[in-house]
Amino acid sequence: MSVKEKLKQVLIEDLNIEDVEPDEIADDLALFGEGLGLDSLDAVELVIIIQKHFGVEIKDMVESRPIFESINTLAAYIEANKS
Amino acid sequence: MFYPEPTAITGLGCISAAGLDLDTALVNMFAGKRNPQPPTKFTTEHQVASLVLELSDELKLPLDEEEEIYSRTCQLALVAAQQALTDAGWDSESLRGKRVGVCLGTTVGCALNCDDFYRTYKDEGDDVPDMGIMSRFLRSNPAAVVAQQLKLDGPVQTVVNACSSGTDAIGIGAGWLRAGACDIVIAGGTDELLRLTYSGFSSLMITAPEPCKPFDVNRKGLNLGEGAGVVILESAELSKAKQKRGYLRGYGSACDAYHLTAPHPEGTGLKRAIFEALAAAQLNATDIAFINAHGTGTPDNDRVESRVMKAVFPGKPFGSTKGFTGHTLGAAGGIEAVFTIACLQRGEIPASIGFSTADPECPAEPVKVNTAISGSNALSESLAFGGNNAVLIFAKGEC
Amino acid sequence: MRMAIQGVGITGAFGTGVDALRTALQTGQVPAENKTAENGYQAPVDKLVDFIPKRALRRIDHFSKMTLLSASLAIQDAKLETADRSRMGVVIATGYGTLQTTFKFLDSYLDYGYACSSPTHFSNSVHNAAAAHVSMQMQATAPSLTVTQFEMSVASALLSAQQWLAEGRVDQVLFGAVDESCEVLHYCRNQFFGAGEQGPIQPFAFDKQSAVAGEGATFLLLTADSEAAPYGFIDSVQMGNHTVSPLQLSNDELFIIGADGHRQCSSWYPQAVSDSNAVAYAPLYGSFLAAAGFDLAVAAVSQRDETIYLCPESSGSVGLLPTQKLTSQPLSCLKFDGGGNYGLIRLSR
Repeated sequence: MSVKEKLKQVLIEDLNIEDVEPDEIADDLALFGEGLGLDSLDAVELVIIIQKHFGVEIKDMVESRPIFESINTLAAYIEANKS
Repeated sequence: MFYPEPTAITGLGCISAAGLDLDTALVNMFAGKRNPQPPTKFTTEHQVASLVLELSDELKLPLDEEEEIYSRTCQLALVAAQQALTDAGWDSESLRGKRVGVCLGTTVGCALNCDDFYRTYKDEGDDVPDMGIMSRFLRSNPAAVVAQQLKLDGPVQTVVNACSSGTDAIGIGAGWLRAGACDIVIAGGTDELLRLTYSGFSSLMITAPEPCKPFDVNRKGLNLGEGAGVVILESAELSKAKQKRGYLRGYGSACDAYHLTAPHPEGTGLKRAIFEALAAAQLNATDIAFINAHGTGTPDNDRVESRVMKAVFPGKPFGSTKGFTGHTLGAAGGIEAVFTIACLQRGEIPASIGFSTADPECPAEPVKVNTAISGSNALSESLAFGGNNAVLIFAKGEC
Repeated sequence: MRMAIQGVGITGAFGTGVDALRTALQTGQVPAENKTAENGYQAPVDKLVDFIPKRALRRIDHFSKMTLLSASLAIQDAKLETADRSRMGVVIATGYGTLQTTFKFLDSYLDYGYACSSPTHFSNSVHNAAAAHVSMQMQATAPSLTVTQFEMSVASALLSAQQWLAEGRVDQVLFGAVDESCEVLHYCRNQFFGAGEQGPIQPFAFDKQSAVAGEGATFLLLTADSEAAPYGFIDSVQMGNHTVSPLQLSNDELFIIGADGHRQCSSWYPQAVSDSNAVAYAPLYGSFLAAAGFDLAVAAVSQRDETIYLCPESSGSVGLLPTQKLTSQPLSCLKFDGGGNYGLIRLSR
């Protein structure tokens, strides 16, 4: 399973997003606000999800804001920081 | 609605990292001393430790030999309650026959903190979980423990409104006196520092690896703390002949109904709580000499509070004492009520420690140096998880 | 000051809504699927989707679901669905708060390490999370209060609701009592009480441990005294300690007692009231700390129906009061904890 596919799957499971299938989330869909509709609490939960499932740490929410834009940006960050 | 008369406050008690009693805390705060450090009483695997403000090891818990009987949170409440009762001239004998209520706020005091029990429970080995941990939890309701230890007869309430609990508890306790439900109320807040809350706040990414900097442009988050703050509220009849520490003139609270963890960006609930408290006290915003802000040092909280400060109290001196005490959660409202009353009496508030550079997003700045204040009314405010906002207005006493 | 009961919402093992409660009072029965040997009494929440879209429930746990469901029902019952709720206060009494989410939070760090503690579970495990969800979903922006006082939670929280209404801080109070059960709770109860957990609950067998864990949520919509009160009035709320200052009760009153098969708590009831003027309904909803709120909801329904219902069969009383018309006798709810602390709530019609 690719990083993007796995991301979509754990996002739906761990953030409990019902009524959405992984392939319904476009790679460039905005995760926050309009789009998938996530909020600030989901953002910090995402940090844990990414650490738990991919072993990649995100330390600073302000500096990391661009990472959270979409599946594309998240996947790129995970690929670049995987050990 | 307004209160027909202010409620007499006859005693103050408080323990925090700023000092194990009020006088020591005042000395340390006006000297600008604080001692944040990584936690020493528990470990976690967080790569970068957030700093905390722990109580000095000199603290003697009242039931030391029976430490396992009650939670530390309950014991901290007992220490502060005892200090406040002594300050008010009461002892367990003279309280006999009085209708005495206890209203205390807490966050972790009622949380099922049972790591050690639960780890064994989850582990499918032969070890049996320690039921003593559960028994202690079941004995450890803070307000009930204080009532029971002092053998009191009256209303008992533990308020669990997250970080505004202590402020709410004092406002609610004063209501019992107005309603004639009792003659004396022991009111305030209490909380110990736990791995549970340390991990929880760390996971929300709002704790700082450095000493906290409320309202500063470079603030990184809060430092957790622990302690308890208690005031003794008395009926007009009982307190007639006494010199008062101060008076409670108003209480207001309101809910943002906006988000579980984030404050409303315009502080709608906070403003409503402030105006309700002012109305109860029959005061205008201009009558307030200074404000003890919630000022946790998180980006969101301080921005909202600063905006409300600018809108409602332009130019009024304010500061946060959380740099000295850490954020003591349910205890914060109790501790800060005690500080507010003491500073009114002293005519001076301490420099808001940790603040040096203004944030363009925070339109009001806290005091940078110890600042003389004039006037006889001050306000203490608390914001909490769940969008709770609570505000108390105090008036200066005679001693 | 009198409080008028304008609406009741409830979910418990007997089902969801006042009609389900009434049916249980009439038949003394609980649907078998909600009461099992392993799980005790369980409260259904499936009807919540009638009130709140599924998407909005994404982060809402079972405790808050029970809370939101019965709060929504109370508002509907009081016909305030479209009313402005900016002066509606929220007061919730709970003995333990949300147990299931508390353990999920501990799971998150015990399973994956402290650095992986879940912020979502943490913020939902805080005791006032349910009240926050109610305020958000109902846009109730007036004061909000959550009280945790074990068995005394309901009486204590009701004191504050009464104070708010008396001083005009709010126009209505959405007053709730909520507790939930979970696997760990069952484990602990078995450790503490052993075979006593098998039931059936016999509230009037005061010296016998017969409690069975239950759960549920109930809300009363309260206003300051008014002409119209479909469920009658709450006249007074009193808290105290029977050993410090003994409770003096009249034999002319009828009591719904909170006896629920816990020997230590139950031992106080015979010291204060006699079997012949007391009823108890724990066998319909189980034993839990906030069940004093369920006793209060039964009192409200009894007043509306002008009927005192027969205690469920297993209640263990020697002289069971038959179902009878509630006449001029005043009705009160009485709850004791193990240490002799009591909460006494007096009602009237």
